[in-house]
Amino acid sequence: MSAPILQVDGITKRFGGLLALDNVSFEVAAGDIIGLIGPNGAGKSTLFSTLVGLHKPTSGSVRFAGADITGLKPHKVAARGLTKTFQNVALFMEATVLDNVLIGALLREGVAEARTTAMACLDRVGLAHIAGKTANDLSFPERARVEVARSLATRPKVLLLDEVMAALNHVEMEEIMALIRSLRDDGLTVVAVEHHMHAIMSLCERIVVLNFGRKIADGTPQDIAKDPEVVRAYLGREYA
Amino acid sequence: MKPWIWGAAALIAAVVVPSFLDPAGYPIRVLTLTLLFAALGQAWNIVGGLANQISLGHAAFFGIGAYTSTILLIHFNLSPWIGMLAGAALAALAAYLLSFPTMKLRGHYFALATLAFSEVLRVVASSWTSVTGGPAGLSVPYAADSLALLQFKSTTPYYYIILGALVLICVVFLVIQKSALGYRLRAVKENPDAAEVIGVDTTRVKITAAVISAALTALLGTLYAQFTYFFDPEAVFGIVAISVRAAIIAILGGAGTLAGPLIGAFVIVPLEEFANAALSSRAAGLSQLVFGLMLIAIILVEPRGLLVLVSNGIARLRKGRKG
Ligand SMILES: Nc1ncnc2c1ncn2[C@@H]1O[C@H](COP(=O)(O)OP(=O)(O)OP(=O)(O)O)[C@@H](O)[C@H]1O
Ligand SMILES: [Mg+2]
Repeated sequence: MSAPILQVDGITKRFGGLLALDNVSFEVAAGDIIGLIGPNGAGKSTLFSTLVGLHKPTSGSVRFAGADITGLKPHKVAARGLTKTFQNVALFMEATVLDNVLIGALLREGVAEARTTAMACLDRVGLAHIAGKTANDLSFPERARVEVARSLATRPKVLLLDEVMAALNHVEMEEIMALIRSLRDDGLTVVAVEHHMHAIMSLCERIVVLNFGRKIADGTPQDIAKDPEVVRAYLGREYA
Repeated sequence: MKPWIWGAAALIAAVVVPSFLDPAGYPIRVLTLTLLFAALGQAWNIVGGLANQISLGHAAFFGIGAYTSTILLIHFNLSPWIGMLAGAALAALAAYLLSFPTMKLRGHYFALATLAFSEVLRVVASSWTSVTGGPAGLSVPYAADSLALLQFKSTTPYYYIILGALVLICVVFLVIQKSALGYRLRAVKENPDAAEVIGVDTTRVKITAAVISAALTALLGTLYAQFTYFFDPEAVFGIVAISVRAAIIAILGGAGTLAGPLIGAFVIVPLEEFANAALSSRAAGLSQLVFGLMLIAIILVEPRGLLVLVSNGIARLRKGRKG
């Protein structure tokens, strides 16, 4: 295992009286595909938002690529190579698909080069043919792909994917999984939140399980599927 | 027709028109004011339209421009061309400092904070009589027709200078819109969280737009002072006279578009002038009421402004003819 690129150390996040994250720690090695699962409201999206700097953690720290990034603003975190997609899709709805992705590429280059990068990223997610459409006119699965392309355009080292397979059919899901694998082969590290267990089990080397803001398991898909607490909290009997 | 053909045609018309008008007459005065307020609407449009930060305090920067150049002219005999740059620099600084407390504010709160800021400056201008002339205002000393001192008996030179300022501000607007800053402003306008997460420094983007907009607004304040020869705190720091007018002109025409403030100004300013001429003796404030109603109407019918309303109308006509 190579040196961890992302180290989450004792992250706690409170929203008023609600303990959304409770002392969560885990590490991600460069080149891994990690799954993050747990029931609704477990804190998965909150964890992603905290890692990229949208939320300040109540306590704990995040180290990324050897440096402490706790409390940095999201754009600084993105510049270091860590970004995420949004679960409910947060595109720039009035802009074209191309412009959405182009804005991501502007992080590292000027407008002209960014346009080329954006087209390449759209091509990668299979959406080059709708580059000129307005984001508002897309279907939900298309929007999720544009989100992926937009984050890829920032040239991340680690990409956090929040339920990009929601609302996809089987074929589309296979396509996204193939895409994630090929991105990993190109050197990207991926952490994916998904509720589709088959997808997550076949995609990930390792899975982290959250429940009520606490990490309750961390291991290979096989270990996770056998873990009694995970089965009780989330998986049900199907995987036991 | 392509947009640039419209632009070229409008510019040629604007250059030619004064040769048909009496240089000391009323129509060219109204036209000059229209161009000035179109430029003001366009400067406002950089924050109000591109970033969707609805400022109701642009009078602050307009007034800073007017007072700075005029005070420098009165006390140091400094050319308003230089005073204009000093005013722009001061306004830019003011916008920069104002950005910090207003940064996190959205919608009405941002509007109210900017409004409060301009009101503070209006009160200062009314009270600091030794420098600003107080409520009585300032008169620009007239020596002789002089380009260096930016003063002329005839309206025509002002017309062309203000037309130049309008073109300059339109070009700045276009350049911003097509540049990285323009893309980032759109991102900030539509979804600030998403913008941050993909690497947009939303704070910096908003400050940059605010500073550019404020500096350009101050230039217009100086031109206004030179053109009208006399102004008081209400005229340049006034909420209705400047701040609301700038916002209405851009919103009525179509905020965030190049043509919006131009259309807005050409509807509002002449109407206002003629309404005032016709009504003011009998019904003070009636024209303001009419504008308020117009604004409510446009927001209810088509919040994207007259530009969209008209182009949709044309599209419908064309469809009807074909179908
Ligand atoms: N900004 C916020 N303010 C207050 N509470 C919040 C906020 N964001 C999330 N929460 C709460 O924190 C808890 C964790 O929410 P989160 O969205 O992280 O869950 P999740 O694991 O992503 O769930 P899902 O699978 O439904 O997406 C929930 O109880 C949620 O209501
Ligand atoms: Mg979630």
